[in-house]
Amino acid sequence: MTADDIQAVAPQAEDGRRVMLELRNVSHSFHARKESFEHGVHQVLDGVSLKLLEGETLGIIGRNGAGKTTMLRIMAGIFAPTSGKILRQPGASVSLLSLGLGFQPQLSGRDNALLSAMLQGFSKREAESRLEEIREFSELGQSFDEPVKTYSSGMNARLGFTTALLNKVDILLIDEVLSVGDAEFRQKAEEAMRDRLSGGRTAVFVSHAEGQVKKLCSRVVWIEEGAVRAEGDPERVLKQYRPPGPASEAISRRGNASNDRPR
Amino acid sequence: MNLTQYFSLIDTMARMSLKADASRYFFGYIWWVLEPLLYVLVFYVVFELILQNRKEDFLVFLMVGKLTFIWFSKSVNQAARSIVNSGGLISKANISKSLFPMAMVQEGLYKQLSVFLLLFVVLLFNGYPITTAWFWLIPLILVNYIVIVASCLVCAFLVCLVFDFIVMVSLGTIFLLFVSGIFWDPRDLPDPAATDLILLLNPLAFVIDAYRQILMVGVAPDAWHLLGIGAGFGLLALGMVLLLRRASRFLALKVLTA
Repeated sequence: MTADDIQAVAPQAEDGRRVMLELRNVSHSFHARKESFEHGVHQVLDGVSLKLLEGETLGIIGRNGAGKTTMLRIMAGIFAPTSGKILRQPGASVSLLSLGLGFQPQLSGRDNALLSAMLQGFSKREAESRLEEIREFSELGQSFDEPVKTYSSGMNARLGFTTALLNKVDILLIDEVLSVGDAEFRQKAEEAMRDRLSGGRTAVFVSHAEGQVKKLCSRVVWIEEGAVRAEGDPERVLKQYRPPGPASEAISRRGNASNDRPR
Repeated sequence: MNLTQYFSLIDTMARMSLKADASRYFFGYIWWVLEPLLYVLVFYVVFELILQNRKEDFLVFLMVGKLTFIWFSKSVNQAARSIVNSGGLISKANISKSLFPMAMVQEGLYKQLSVFLLLFVVLLFNGYPITTAWFWLIPLILVNYIVIVASCLVCAFLVCLVFDFIVMVSLGTIFLLFVSGIFWDPRDLPDPAATDLILLLNPLAFVIDAYRQILMVGVAPDAWHLLGIGAGFGLLALGMVLLLRRASRFLALKVLTA
């Protein structure tokens, strides 16, 4: 419940690279509504340890309900772990970008972009100075000044992605956002992300789209039932994640759907 | 987030919400004063025309009570749901959860400024002069604001903890409407001890009575009593801000997994 378990101390460097964020034996459970679970306690993460190195793009894969979204929320400091520790590079800003959430539906895209930037700690003037760039990149045109509730999910994703990307945070946590929107914007977003990431920005990227994970991530972690199942080179981990045989096709098909329910 | 950013955010959120609200209604900003006036009208019809109230200048008496009480009741009822309704922003970053009720309080304050203006015009048109006692409006409005802030923070926290509390909030404001002397005067009670007891036990009754004393009688309120209410609720508000900050991630879990 307290902020004591997030420590703004520099975690130890690994391979000569700065560690931006470290999870040490992090577990997370919560009391669900009584009627939903037999015992009322829902264990989401179970003893997860991992390090996020400066400048890397870490991919997180796992089936629906494996605990990926919760892990991102713990990394962003939105949830506290039930046990374990989180070490974060002092002064590093973190932003979590997830689909369908994060916007006030009755406000315009412009107002939402302004609010998002201000919530990330920018002054109103700084936030306002970025709005035109956000409007242009997101290709929302006149819709930028219309209420977000009138947006399609693709438009929502464009606004969310652009807002987070242009707001120059140190650690960008991306939950499933790049898998939506039209193909053209997706490509543009991927390129923009590669540009930013080559500029030393650190990102964690949750996706079901294996192609994107391969293209963008330098390292991949596979989460299964709240624990790390495999970690390392994207090719190798993705191969393990996708077992041989007819099941692989089904998983791959399911993996491409973007209906992962946050839990 | 420093204090300037905190207040800038509250102000921005309140303005955005007002703008979005105004664009939703055909009469837009006119509702800021029209809605409170309609409430007054409803009470006037019931108590003056149907129940034949004999109180002198009942319409002005009712307006002073109701227009100031609405500021409290609307703010509290809206702020109570503000944290549970902000899942979207809460899922984005670890922000102080007091931001949401405070944005609602600010929104209510901006609306109330126009209501106060209307009230003063009504008083002047009805022959109530501006007296030196009107200076007391400054501390009185400030104390009224502090009472609202503290109440909103408490309710928003409790509703976030147990959503069922929302029922108590609306019931509680109706109870306060009846016991704070909105359409009856605590000073008309046959036993002066009962009047004193009500003004002592119910801070809202004291605040509303103080408005009437200043605006309609030209008499300053009991300064120590006013200070006591301001200090008490000020401490409560401060404690709540700290509590909401400390419980921030616990509340996020409550909101996002409910």
